[in-house]
Amino acid sequence: MKNQENSAGCKIRFKFYKKDEHRYLSHLDIVNIITRALRRAGIKTKYSCGYRPKPKINFSNPTPLGVDSFAEYCDVIVLEDIEECEFLSAVNLQLVPQMMITRAKKIDIKSASLSRDISVCLYCFELDVSGSTVNFINEFTESVKNNIKNKSDFSSSIFDLMVKTSNEDIIFVKLYGYVKIFKNLNNEIFKFNNFLEFFQNWIKKYNIINISYIKKEELYIFKDNTLKTPMEII
Amino acid sequence: MEKIKTLKFSELENLLEGIQKPGRYVNHEVGTKSKDISKIADFSSMVFIALIFPDIYEIGMPNLGLPILYEIINKTKYFSAERVFSPWTDFEKKLRDSKVKLFSLESRIFLDCFDVLGFSAQHEMLYTNILNIIDMSGLKIHSKEREGRLPLVCAGGPAVVNPQPLSKFMDFMVIGDGEELTVKILEKVKTYKKSSKDKLWFLKEISKLDGVYVPGLYKFYYFKDGRISDIKPFLRVKKETVKDLNKFDIVLNPVIPNIKPVHDRFVIEIMRGCSRGCRFCQAGIIYRPVRQRNVNSLIEHSICGIKNTGYDEISFMSLSTADYKDIGCLLEGVAGFMNLNKISVSLPSLRVDSFNLHLAKLIRSGRRTGLTFAPEAGSQRMRDIINKNISEEEMIDCIKVAFKNGWEKIKLYFMIGFPFEEDEDIEQIVLLIKKITDTAKGILPKRNFRRFKINVSINAFCPKPFTPFQWVGQDSTDNLVEKFNYIVKNVPKKFVQISWSNPQASKIESALSKGDSSVGDAIEKAWRKGAKFDNWTDMFSYQIWEEAFKESGLDMNFFATREILPDEILPWDIIDIGTSKKFLFNEYEKSRKFSRVQNKI
Repeated sequence: MKNQENSAGCKIRFKFYKKDEHRYLSHLDIVNIITRALRRAGIKTKYSCGYRPKPKINFSNPTPLGVDSFAEYCDVIVLEDIEECEFLSAVNLQLVPQMMITRAKKIDIKSASLSRDISVCLYCFELDVSGSTVNFINEFTESVKNNIKNKSDFSSSIFDLMVKTSNEDIIFVKLYGYVKIFKNLNNEIFKFNNFLEFFQNWIKKYNIINISYIKKEELYIFKDNTLKTPMEII
Repeated sequence: MEKIKTLKFSELENLLEGIQKPGRYVNHEVGTKSKDISKIADFSSMVFIALIFPDIYEIGMPNLGLPILYEIINKTKYFSAERVFSPWTDFEKKLRDSKVKLFSLESRIFLDCFDVLGFSAQHEMLYTNILNIIDMSGLKIHSKEREGRLPLVCAGGPAVVNPQPLSKFMDFMVIGDGEELTVKILEKVKTYKKSSKDKLWFLKEISKLDGVYVPGLYKFYYFKDGRISDIKPFLRVKKETVKDLNKFDIVLNPVIPNIKPVHDRFVIEIMRGCSRGCRFCQAGIIYRPVRQRNVNSLIEHSICGIKNTGYDEISFMSLSTADYKDIGCLLEGVAGFMNLNKISVSLPSLRVDSFNLHLAKLIRSGRRTGLTFAPEAGSQRMRDIINKNISEEEMIDCIKVAFKNGWEKIKLYFMIGFPFEEDEDIEQIVLLIKKITDTAKGILPKRNFRRFKINVSINAFCPKPFTPFQWVGQDSTDNLVEKFNYIVKNVPKKFVQISWSNPQASKIESALSKGDSSVGDAIEKAWRKGAKFDNWTDMFSYQIWEEAFKESGLDMNFFATREILPDEILPWDIIDIGTSKKFLFNEYEKSRKFSRVQNKI
């Protein structure tokens, strides 16, 4: 395996989305699809040594089944030097429109793994409130902030929460949940499925029946006291 | 059918809420080849066929036959094939509650909009799933009651070589290899669809083809006790055989499943048929003659297939891989590429001997999976009766070599309930297992011996149509349980893990596989009582089947455990499988001789 280390390899971080039909695939399925797509694209990846060699690929935190995600990240160690755009187009040729790579960037081969670095995950819940008044929206916004962000069982797992409206028909609840424990913050890991169940019940008292769409929008890493995306910290 | 109806994605989204493994029901896998229906101008000149595998997606996808037909059909401009699998019970309930008919995977076309529904019947325990799917399509399950000209409902595969149990439900059945026949049939469907001729005209037309059995064209007459007295007209349907496998390319761009199937690998069929002649084995007869693929093209295709699919495992399939004449050449030919790219090579049904062990070592590049032996019987006497050509010395020698070379896991397959079986044969199973553990003890270092395990799998023997043992009655359930308990009690428990098939399920399997058309009533009754996924141990209910047979006025023992008389007309006599009944009976007589000769000594 020594010759692998010496060759002109590089580490590539890429961002991809999974949506529509592909939102129904589990994290493990996504891992398999990406791994096979890399093989089909002829990308020579580094393999682990040992009993059953596995490609050195590192994925960001799993997205819950049934949720569109526009922030899936993956690091792969490639044995031959390859241009970022060349990598992106070669792998995308092997994927379907429901799941495509949007960016690829070379990173330091020694950089920390995604799963260890990523601290916060941003989910966006779209609530259909067509026909409601400005007053209602203001009242709802306040209530979400006070009750969910500050007083609910989930408070210590939420880093931040914002409410936005567009054309008064849709309310966007943008929730930044922790995916990493920080001892000094005394926080908890954000549990998506538990929260969704709670939230679905909670909005009922505002006569909002359905969440029209949920997506995972971005992942963040804490760096110098600010949130940076995995692409920005490179 | 002027317009094809489909389920919209938004409707599917609603249906999938709360459903387990929703990935089973969504499209957009890599490698699909169905026609894009939004680009079809004239549906009347196209033929749409649903290729239906009546089990869940994960089990159906690794099937070898489905992709072959899928490829051949979709290659033709005016044919389109889409896949369908059984929905799991939670999704079935959702569909039924929402009054949504079952649909295909690719374009979500409702099944009743297809021209042909083609079932792949891999074994008898899927019969109820087949009825369930016809019903979920919104069609009547009985062929006679389906009044429309289309869709036509048909089935093929090893579980219809005796077509009688499903004869009431199918418009026609396909016996033998499908590569050439499927296209011939679909051409006829195309003509039929454009014409104004009735269904009977079509069925008579295709009945002229070898390999097509149209149940509606035959009449069976019975004696009072249930045996068949006559079949009219006695025109036998000849099994369709592809003479040269090399004429058909290996599927190099198969559909790659999005969710993990039971076998997640690139599969290559290297040979069809088996020359071994084990007397209990149905596959050994119905897939005759032995046909081998050319080794050079196999090597080329293996590499090409792995590059195309991105799999990290390749499997060389056949009924008896070691009998493929160029197996060494094949493995040597691919070893370089596979090892370099960290592809593991699996050789299922590899008869293990010292020579093959060398091959296995060559190819697995350090990866040590278990070794599998299928002695089937414990005593040499019984192995002679069943014509299983493997000796104890050979096995022990091979195991010695294996242990010395780093293998530690052994899997053994046995069957109990064979004809002429005596207590001694069962005792010999235990002794053989003991011998193997003793061998391990002698060779493995102490440290390794502590974690040594043999997996033993014991199955009840089911006599199957078109085998020399087709006349044999299955051993009673009580006997089978007693024999199994004896084995469990007497094997060295510390090193042996035993699993076994439910003998009650085996009895149903026997009754179904040797059934005549009246068994169709029991299948229907069982399905109406909720039987489905009968091969899933937690879904199978013996009680349902017992009631179903009783309420149909049938004695299960008549089909399962009764010894059939040599001169009886058998339900499957209407099929000419290519091996004569006389040959099979001679083989049966030979096995009887073995039982006597060895007894004297």
